[in-house]
Amino acid sequence: MSLATDSSQRRLQLGGLALIAVVAFAAVVTIWFDVALERILTVGFVNRTLMLASPIALAAVGGLYAEKSGVFNIGLEGFMIFGAITAAATLSLVGGTTQLHVWLAIVVAIGVSLALTAGYAVLLIRYKADQIVAGLAVWFMGLGFAPFLASLLWGTVRSPGLASMNRYSIPYLAEVPVVGPILFRQSPLVLVTIVLVVAAWVVLYRTRYGYWIQAAGENPTALDTAGVDVNRVRYATVLFSGAMAGLGGAVLLAHAGTFIGTGDTMVDGRGWIAIVAYLFGNYNPLGAALAALLFGGLEGLQVQFQTVDIAVSGRLMGLLPYVGVIVVLTIWGKTRMPASVGEPYESED
Amino acid sequence: MVATDPPADDPPAVRLEGITKTFGDVVANDDVDFRLEHGTIHALLGENGSGKTTLMSVLYGLYDQDEGTIYVDGEPRTFESPQDAMDAGIGMIHQHFQLVEPMTVLQNVVLGHEPTDGGLVDERAAREEIESICSRYGFDVDRHLETPVEELDLGTRQRVEIVKSLYRGAEILILDEPTAVLTPQEVEGLLDLLDDLRAAGHSLIFISHKLDEVLAAADRITVLRDGEAIGTVPAAETTEQELAEMMVGREVSFDRLARTATPGEPVLEAEELRVTGNRGREQVRGVDLTVREHEILGIAGVQGNGQTELIEALTGHRRVEEGTVRFHGDEITETGRRWRLEAGIAYIPEDRHTEGLVQAYDLVKNALLGNQTVPPYVADGWIDWARVTDHAEEIVEEFDVQPPNPAVDAASLSGGNQQKFIVGREIGHEPDVMLASHPTRGVDVGSLEFIHNRLIELRDEGLAVVVVSSKLDELRALSDRIAVMYEGEFIDEVAPEAVTDAELGLLMAGQRLEGEPSEPEAEATVDRQPGGDGDR
Amino acid sequence: MSDSDTNRPRATLDKIADRLLDATLYERIGIAIGSTGLALLIGLVVVAAAGHNPLLFAQQLVVGSFGSTGAFTRTLRFTTLFILAGVAVAIAFRAGVFNIGVQGQLIVGGIACVLSIIWLAPFVPAGAVGGVGLTLVGLLAAVVAGGLYAALPGVLKAYYGANEIITTIMLNFIAIGIVGWAVDGPLRPDDARSVRTEYLPEGVAFPQLVFSDPNFSIVGLALALAVVGVVAVGMARTSFGYDMVTSGYQTSAARFAGVDPQRTIVATMTLSGMVAGLVGAVFAIMVQGYFIDPSGIGTYGFDAIAVSLLAANNPVGVVPASLLFGALESSGSHVQIHSDVPVQLIDGIVGVVVLFVAAPELFRMIAKRTGLGGDRR
Repeated sequence: MSLATDSSQRRLQLGGLALIAVVAFAAVVTIWFDVALERILTVGFVNRTLMLASPIALAAVGGLYAEKSGVFNIGLEGFMIFGAITAAATLSLVGGTTQLHVWLAIVVAIGVSLALTAGYAVLLIRYKADQIVAGLAVWFMGLGFAPFLASLLWGTVRSPGLASMNRYSIPYLAEVPVVGPILFRQSPLVLVTIVLVVAAWVVLYRTRYGYWIQAAGENPTALDTAGVDVNRVRYATVLFSGAMAGLGGAVLLAHAGTFIGTGDTMVDGRGWIAIVAYLFGNYNPLGAALAALLFGGLEGLQVQFQTVDIAVSGRLMGLLPYVGVIVVLTIWGKTRMPASVGEPYESED
Repeated sequence: MVATDPPADDPPAVRLEGITKTFGDVVANDDVDFRLEHGTIHALLGENGSGKTTLMSVLYGLYDQDEGTIYVDGEPRTFESPQDAMDAGIGMIHQHFQLVEPMTVLQNVVLGHEPTDGGLVDERAAREEIESICSRYGFDVDRHLETPVEELDLGTRQRVEIVKSLYRGAEILILDEPTAVLTPQEVEGLLDLLDDLRAAGHSLIFISHKLDEVLAAADRITVLRDGEAIGTVPAAETTEQELAEMMVGREVSFDRLARTATPGEPVLEAEELRVTGNRGREQVRGVDLTVREHEILGIAGVQGNGQTELIEALTGHRRVEEGTVRFHGDEITETGRRWRLEAGIAYIPEDRHTEGLVQAYDLVKNALLGNQTVPPYVADGWIDWARVTDHAEEIVEEFDVQPPNPAVDAASLSGGNQQKFIVGREIGHEPDVMLASHPTRGVDVGSLEFIHNRLIELRDEGLAVVVVSSKLDELRALSDRIAVMYEGEFIDEVAPEAVTDAELGLLMAGQRLEGEPSEPEAEATVDRQPGGDGDR
Repeated sequence: MSDSDTNRPRATLDKIADRLLDATLYERIGIAIGSTGLALLIGLVVVAAAGHNPLLFAQQLVVGSFGSTGAFTRTLRFTTLFILAGVAVAIAFRAGVFNIGVQGQLIVGGIACVLSIIWLAPFVPAGAVGGVGLTLVGLLAAVVAGGLYAALPGVLKAYYGANEIITTIMLNFIAIGIVGWAVDGPLRPDDARSVRTEYLPEGVAFPQLVFSDPNFSIVGLALALAVVGVVAVGMARTSFGYDMVTSGYQTSAARFAGVDPQRTIVATMTLSGMVAGLVGAVFAIMVQGYFIDPSGIGTYGFDAIAVSLLAANNPVGVVPASLLFGALESSGSHVQIHSDVPVQLIDGIVGVVVLFVAAPELFRMIAKRTGLGGDRR
C-alpha cells in the first residue's frame, strides 16, 4: 500500500501543525484573558469535541466514498438535515423516551435517508444530473421541508425537548483519571463513529470493493473493461454517503435532544464542513475523521470560553469553524481529486 | 489479394463474419470478414478512422454489432460486455491504457478478479500468481508490483496491461496501436515480446497504421479502409507500397517536397530556457533555440520529454523559470499570451478539443477565439459580429472545412475539419512565426496533406515555423532542421535528409550519435547546422 | 466575393442558425416550465398528504401573488430583488464559477449601504438633494463592499485552488454571524426595542412614482432591469463578456486564446458580488429602511440560484424566472397569514425546482416517452 506517500505525510505534518496552532491560539487567548489553560483543555472539552466531531466525521466518510467512486455528493448537508428531522419526528411520533427509542429513531433516519438518496442517485447516475446543482437542491429541499415538517408536527420550527442519547459508563474504568471519562463514560454514538471510520478505511484499502471504488473514480473504463459495472459501484457509494450523512444528522439530534429548524437549521453547515474534512484528510477515512476532530475542537472552544467567562461573543466564537474551513481550503485547496469525479459514466448502448 | 488457405480441420481462433456497426449515420464497419488463426500474429492495418478499433471493440464486447457473427474456436458467441469476451479468453490492450494511475501495479493487474481471503484481498496470492506469469514469459513487471502505475514509463505500463490480460486468462490478445507511445527501441522490445507470446501459443491481433511495423511483426495483414475490409495478405508476400495503396485507395508517393528557400533573419530565439511542468517538475532544462525566416524547425521526441512545456513557454502560456525568449531580437520573456498573440506569434495547439476550439460554440464564435482584442473584429472592447462572421466564412471557404457552414457547432466537425479550421484561424492572425504542436494528430490523409502544404507555403512566404511532432515521417516531410528533445534538453540537431529513422529513434531514446564508435556511419551523416545549438 | 454570391447562402445560414437557436431555446423554456410545474404539483401532493386542501392552497398561491394591488406590488418587490440577485448568480455561473455566496454578499452590501448613509448623514444637508446624494452613496458603498466580499473567494479559488462553493457558503455563515453580532451590539441604538440599526434618514428612498407601496418603488425595478440590460449586452457584445463566457464553457480554450483564467475568475466573482451588493442596498433602502439581524432576512441569495438556473443562466431569462419566484415568495406572505399550511413548504418547492433543473435528461426522456416535442432531435 502506498498510504505513506509524500503528500499524505506532508499533510499529517501540516495537520499536526494546525493542531498546535489551535492549541497555541487557545493559549494566547487564555493568557490574554488571564485564564489557566487547564481550565480550557479539560476532559469535558475532549468529550465535547468527540461528540461534536462525530456527525461531521460520519458525513465526511460517506462523502469521500462517493467522491472516490467519481460522484461528488454535494448534498451531504441536505441529507444531514433530513436525518436530523427524521430522527426528531420519529421520536416525537412514537412518543418514547427510552434509549431504545433513540436507537430506533436513528435507524429510521438512516432508512429514510437511504430512500431519499436512492432517488437522488438515480437522478445523478441514470439521468446524469449536474452533481453540483442537484446537491445544492438537496440542501434547499432540506432547508424547506425540514422546518415544514417541524411546523406540521409541533406548530413551530423548533421541536420540544425529545429523548437524547445518554452516555454509557463502565464502572471503575470510568474513574481512571483523564482516560477513564473519555473512553469509558462516553456517548455510544462516538464509539459507533470510530468503528465505522475504521471499517471504512479497511474496506477502502483492503477489500476488492475498495479497489473498485477507487478505480471507478480514477478510470471508470478500466473498471468496466475488468468486468465490473461502474454505475453499480457508484450507486452503492452514493447510497452509502446518503445513509452516513443521514446517520450524522441523527447523531447530531440524538446528542442535542431538540430539533432546531430556524435559519440554516441545527445542522448549520456541518455537511459542508464534512466535505472540507475529507478533502483535508486526503480522501482517507482516518484523515477525514482527524480533520473532523479539528473542526469539532474549534466548535468546542466556544463552550469552553463561555464556561470560563471569557467575554467573547458566543456568536463570533461560533464562526471559528467556518474561518477554519476557509483557512484549510486556502492552504490545502489543491487537493488531487479522483480523475473522473463529476463525469457520468456510460458504457456503450 | 487472397488470404492463404487455412487448414480446414482446425477452426480459427477468431472468425468475424459480416460485421456491420454504425454510429448514427456513420458506418464504422461495413460487412467485415476477418479470421485469426491459432498461434499467429495478425495485423489490422488502416488509416485513422478506417474502423479498426471499432471492429476490435465489437470483438471485445465493448460495442454490440448491428449485424454479423463472432466465432471463437468455431463456436458462435455473443459478447454483451468485455467480461463475456474475457471469459472466452480474449484480452485487449487499449491504445489509452486502462490503468488506474494512483493504484499499484498489483492492484491494477488483479482489478475485478481479486483473490480474496476472509473478505480482504489476498495480496500474497495475487503476487505469486503475477510472478509466475512474469517468469513464464520473461516480463519484468513483477519488479514494480508495489509501485503506483503513474510512476512508471509508458513502455512498462504497456507490459502491465499485457500481464493484466494474461492474468485474466487471455489466449487471444488484441493490441490497439501498441507502438504509438513507444520509442523505436521500445517498439523493438515489444515486437520481441509478441514473438514470445506467439511461441507460447497465444494468438494476437495487432492494430496499426504503420506499414513497417506491421510488416516486421505480423504473419498476416488485413487492410481496412472506410470501414470495409479491403483484403488480407501474408506479410511475407507484400510490400510497403502495396499496403499503402490498399490503405489509401490510390497511388502514394513517398517523395518529399523540394526545398528552395534559404533561412533569413532569426525571428524567435530562446536561450538557456528552463520551464516547470504541471506537477512541479522541471520539464525544460536549458534549451537554446533559434528559428529564422523561411525556415521550418522540427522538434522530435517521445511524448512527455518537455516539448509541450517548451512550446507553451514560447507561446506565452507558461511562465519561464530561467532564460530568455527573444522575438525579432527584443526580449519578450515576461510577456503573456495576449501580448505575443498580438505581436504575431501564432499557435496551433496540441489539443484541438480542449484548447483550439470551444466545442459548444459554432464556428463564428470560434473564429473570435484569440481575436478578442484584434481589430477589425473587436474595437474598443466591442465585438463586431458581422466581421467575425465574414471571417469565419472566409476560413471555412479557404480551408475547405466540411460542412461549409459556420453556424454548426465545432463539436460536430470531424477531427480533420476541426484542425483545418484552427489552422485557418491561426494563419488569419498574419503572424511572423507559427508554432504548431502535433498539427496533424488524428486527422485524415486528405487534411494531413492540406495542412502540410499550408505550413510549407507559410515557410515559403517567409514565416518562421516550428513543428513539434512524434511522427518521424511528418518531421522529415516538413523540417529544414530537426532538433531532438530528450528529458527536457535538445540532445542533438540534425538535417532530415542526413539521418535514418533508426538514428532519429536512437536520439529520441536519449542516445547521442556522436562518440559511438560502433556506428561510424551515423556520425558521418549528422550534419550540424550553423545557428543550431543542439548539443552542449 | 460579389454581394449577390454571398447573400443567398448567408440568408440560408442565418435561417439555420435561428432554427438551431430556437430549438435549444424552446427546449430550455420547456425544461423550466416542466421543472416548475412538476415541483408545484409535488408541493400540492405534499399539502394533500399533510391533510390540507391542495386546491385551496393553489388558490391562495394565486390570490397571494396577483389577487390584489397590494399582493401585486409585493410580488414586484420580491421580483426586483430576485432579478438583481439572479443576475448576480447568472454572471458567475455563466463564467463557470459557482458563487453560492450571493446571500452573504448582499448582507455585506446592505450593511455597508446603511452604515455609509448613517455615517455621512450628519454632513449632508437635509432635504431632497441630500437624500438623493445619500441614496447614491449608499448604492455605491454596497456595490463596492459586495464586490470586495466576493473578490475574496475569487482570489482564493484562482490563486490557492480553494473550492469556491464551500468558501462562499462559509462566507455566508460568517457574514450572517458578524453582521448579526454587530447589529445586536455596537450598531444597535439604545432606544431600539428589536435587533436593528438606526433608521435611514428621511429622504433616503426611491421615489414613489406609480404604486403607493412603502416597500416598493418602480425605480427599484427599473434599476434592476437596467442591470439586466447592461449585463446581457456586456456578455454578448464585448470581448470581456466573451472571455468570461468562454472561460465558463471551456477554461483551457480561453487560456489558449490569451485569457488569463485566474484574473477572469477574480473579475467574475467581483462583478457578481457587486450586483449582489446592490441587492442588499435595494433591500435596505427600498424595503426595510434600516438593517436587521441578517439571519432574519429572506434567503434571496439562495433562491436566486434557482432563479438563475431556471433561466439557464441567461440574464434576460432571469426576468420571467424572477417574476415566478417573486410571485411564490409573495404568496408565501399571504399563505402564512391565511393558511394552516406551513409557509416553509414554498422553500422546499424551490429546492425541488432546482433538483429538476439539474436533470434536463429527465425531461428529455419524459418528452420522448410522452411524444411531446418528440420530433426535435
